Amino acid sequence: MDLSTLPATSLRVERSTPPAVNERIRSLTDAEILRLEAADDQELAARLVELDHEWDVERLLQVNASVLVLLGLALGATRDRRFLVLPAAVFSFFAQHALQGWCPPIPMFRRLGVRTQREIARERFAIKALRGDFDGVTKADAPASHRVRDILKAVDT
Amino acid sequence: MTVIAADRARRHTARSVLRRIDGVTVDHLAAAIDRPESVGPRLAELDAEWDLDRTIETEAAVMGLVGLALGTFVNRKFLVLPAAVGTGVLLFGWFGVYPLLPLFRRLHIRTGGDIQRERYALKALRGDFAELPTDTGPKSPAPMN
Repeated sequence: MDLSTLPATSLRVERSTPPAVNERIRSLTDAEILRLEAADDQELAARLVELDHEWDVERLLQVNASVLVLLGLALGATRDRRFLVLPAAVFSFFAQHALQGWCPPIPMFRRLGVRTQREIARERFAIKALRGDFDGVTKADAPASHRVRDILKAVDT
Repeated sequence: MTVIAADRARRHTARSVLRRIDGVTVDHLAAAIDRPESVGPRLAELDAEWDLDRTIETEAAVMGLVGLALGTFVNRKFLVLPAAVGTGVLLFGWFGVYPLLPLFRRLHIRTGGDIQRERYALKALRGDFAELPTDTGPKSPAPMN
């Protein structure tokens, strides 16, 4: 299979979501940034911790899919073999999600506002920019190794 | 907590492997300083890069389907395989641990967090954050609320 024809990893869920739903998720993030523009450092730090704990699309899907798989296997092993259709369907859709970014629960997740890691990172780094974490880190005259170190420090804190 | 400390899969990766993975990130950033025109293409590469979630999801789906096929057509005992896969994915989603995690990490599969880290470091390096209005004094109320 030619992997290069598959959608880009971090954009594939957005690409299989209707534009209006993406736009709604994006505008909610923008509204949050606008609200935080007036916030003090403590509030910004608290929001960053919230973002650390936010469940992204992948995590939510992994937990949901694996619970359905285990449930289907348990029923298939103890009740009726035909229940094995459930884990087979879940694994198939899981593959489709991994490769194409779509599976049946995705439209619901997206309408509930569940974000991708890329969307969450967008809010995180907007907050960090707001806080001034990137102020003065791009001094062109510093040696390259120092610039890389300073920028990673700004990104990581 | 920092962005990389919150990354569940990073917490379960050996220190020496993390050092190697982060070393590659540093090399890419240093290369971007030497050749600023390479930042744009590199950002596109980062969006396309297969992260740990996508790798594990693909591997788990294939193993699960193979196990189900063997369990259905060859011997019921093979159903242990999809059960193990389901348990593994549940553990990965919940705690960030996975049986094949050490293997994937040694193959330099990065987490989404690792990739976003390089992405925003590149953007900062390019000066994406340099043109923003700086506000060093007490925070002024946002103009739109």
